[in-house]
Amino acid sequence: MNEVTTIQVGQTVPDFTLTTYEPTTNGFGTYSLAEARKNGKWTLLFFYPADYTFV
Amino acid sequence: MGCEIVSVSADTQFVHLAWQREEKDLANVKFHMASDRNGDLARQFGIWNNGFTLRGTYLVAPDGKLMSAEVNFLNLGRNIDETLRKFKANVYLGKHSAEGCPAKWKDEGDKTLKPGPGMVGRVHEAMQK
Repeated sequence: MNEVTTIQVGQTVPDFTLTTYEPTTNGFGTYSLAEARKNGKWTLLFFYPADYTFV
Repeated sequence: MGCEIVSVSADTQFVHLAWQREEKDLANVKFHMASDRNGDLARQFGIWNNGFTLRGTYLVAPDGKLMSAEVNFLNLGRNIDETLRKFKANVYLGKHSAEGCPAKWKDEGDKTLKPGPGMVGRVHEAMQK
């Protein structure tokens, strides 16, 4: 078992980059937290179990 | 409004595309649909559940700090009004750090509290003002 440290409220979220589908352009892209921070943006992460299930 | 919305599951971006095209309720989606294929990000938030990501909602400030976290089990949906309320409250509190937004705070202009000695044991009275 790997020891995993969970991020707590008040802590800094480490930078991450995820591959995305972008419905506005019908293309694929990436989302980078570092990029959002650079642009002074908030990030709302909305996790859900799987596509084709209700959100 | 200064906030990037990113939906995340372990599905690939290809399935995100197919799902968004097929499901009528997703026709107007404007947010990023991200793929956390191996659950690496979900694990960091402690919501990786046997190959699925639990219904976690996380609000990250522009400085990278995690300001709000909410996790529901697999079968309970979220209330977007409450998520929006938390976002607005966080933005407000970022500019007014000496104040507090009570439970019923909804938007700028609503009653806030300024914690201090005078309010100890007098929250009820402070809320009436």
